[in-house]
Amino acid sequence: MTTPATKPERISSVLAKLGQCIELVPSDPLCQSITVGLYEKEGILTVWTFSKKEAAFLRMSQIRAQLIALGGLTAVPRTTNKVNFPCGYIHTRPLKFLMMQAVEKPPDYVLPTSPVKDLKSDLRFGFTVEQRDGQWVYKVTAEGQAPNAEARVRGVVAGLGRYGEMEKVSETEIAFVCGERHDKLVWLLLPFARNVSSVEDLLEAAALRGQMTTGTLGFAPN
Amino acid sequence: MPFVETMTPRERVLAALARKPVDLTPVSSPTNVATVDLMDLVDSYFPEANRDPELNARLAATGYTELGFDSIMPYFTIIQESSALGCEMQWEGKDNWPTVRMSRPIWKGPQDIKIPRNFLEHRDTKAITGSIEILKKLYGKEVAIIGKTMGPWTLGYHVFGVEGFLLMSIDDPARTMECMHKLKEISVLYGEAQIAAGADALTFPDHATGDLVSGEYYKRFLLELHQEMAERLKVPLILHICGFTLDRLDYIAQNRMAAFHFDSKNDPAKAVQIAGGRIGLVGNINNPLTLYARGPEEVRAEVFRCMDAGVNMIAPECAVPLATKLENLLEIPRAVRAWHQQHASNGSAKKR
Repeated sequence: MTTPATKPERISSVLAKLGQCIELVPSDPLCQSITVGLYEKEGILTVWTFSKKEAAFLRMSQIRAQLIALGGLTAVPRTTNKVNFPCGYIHTRPLKFLMMQAVEKPPDYVLPTSPVKDLKSDLRFGFTVEQRDGQWVYKVTAEGQAPNAEARVRGVVAGLGRYGEMEKVSETEIAFVCGERHDKLVWLLLPFARNVSSVEDLLEAAALRGQMTTGTLGFAPN
Repeated sequence: MPFVETMTPRERVLAALARKPVDLTPVSSPTNVATVDLMDLVDSYFPEANRDPELNARLAATGYTELGFDSIMPYFTIIQESSALGCEMQWEGKDNWPTVRMSRPIWKGPQDIKIPRNFLEHRDTKAITGSIEILKKLYGKEVAIIGKTMGPWTLGYHVFGVEGFLLMSIDDPARTMECMHKLKEISVLYGEAQIAAGADALTFPDHATGDLVSGEYYKRFLLELHQEMAERLKVPLILHICGFTLDRLDYIAQNRMAAFHFDSKNDPAKAVQIAGGRIGLVGNINNPLTLYARGPEEVRAEVFRCMDAGVNMIAPECAVPLATKLENLLEIPRAVRAWHQQHASNGSAKKR
């Protein structure tokens, strides 16, 4: 990325190199509220900010490190802010959640890889993974007792489908469209997948922030 | 045959506002196009960029220098006058809009309406007039500088509270009109100050929106008053009302203003038909679904839809979401050029 000493380029030239903006985090709580974007071009993902603040350059490499640690992405050699998916496919939807975690959690945050407590019962969700017919299949598991355990597992499978852009294999099984393993992404997505309605509310609230509409201005009935 | 650009952005915008021929349909937003990325780029952030002339000018200029729009709009919000009048403010941070706390109105009726003596010297009104002076010096020959003065209806929401103001309009229309006539002097005062600072045109937001009031309300409370504003403010005025407005567009077209900035809730072809050349139209690229959430392809499709309909100036429908992706904003002027190129090369260029 451009160092602060480099002559600034027009944003149109910068964007021509970076590609399409996949995700934009408007305000980084850990680095002077800079805006951080994730851009994609020809399979390469670039962590980028237009900020020229001194701390911004280092922060981009810190966020890249978290994309690798939390999402299992691979560093592009000889770069400080570029990654790609080892499978070669761009899993756009999970990147939203990965970027949120990479930017908003502390840089030493470690992804929990133990079963996740259900918010509506005593169940704890996890998964097993096995290779079948040339693709890796994730089976959602539930430890503990609950009267509607099967329905809760089906709900988690649906959540993973929604946020992971994964394809359902059976009522309890799901796979990435690339057919490869992305265990870290599944651990990252499990807490969101167990609670789709609340996550949707949060996403909607986040999307409304910074929008000027008759509603947000208070010029519309509630 | 490729089309040839023969006008400066400023000439283009002013010609379109006068509904005269243009070489290229102007891309000119009567409301905000600043985003969080642009704030980073020029090191000028909300809320301070709304309160300091230098910071404001630096951020506003990016609409022209980076996005390639034909005008610069330094008044990003709708709160500058209300803050100077003494309304309670919520300034928010970089990624959200400052707002007036309308749940805590400062006035109850016409007897309370008084313009503070230092109104034009208040930091939040001065931020815009000072910024216009800077922008005029730096870019005034090449690009149109558009100011903004809030109309009395919107000021009414701010100073009386939305509920209080609307109830007054039902219970006591005469009292409401008395308020409007007093509040309009604020619109004129601040508008004239921006003209003196160098504004080429003024946006005139007056949120008689379809979400809250009927089309007949516009005729009853605002039409004559807007005609008066068009007489008194000696630059082209661009009325801005969010939401569905086709039901009042026939009245709006009679207000003698130069243009109407309209929302994507209104079909552009129907809007052009109703306006019937009596008022120019500016808009109406959707913000939440298209500019915020989709990509350049969808932006281009909406620009083409407006161009095909004959909309006079292309712009987002309202202030763009602060987290809008820059590639989508850059696509607007590109799409306008592509449309002209397409129509020039197939020999069907319209005189616009």
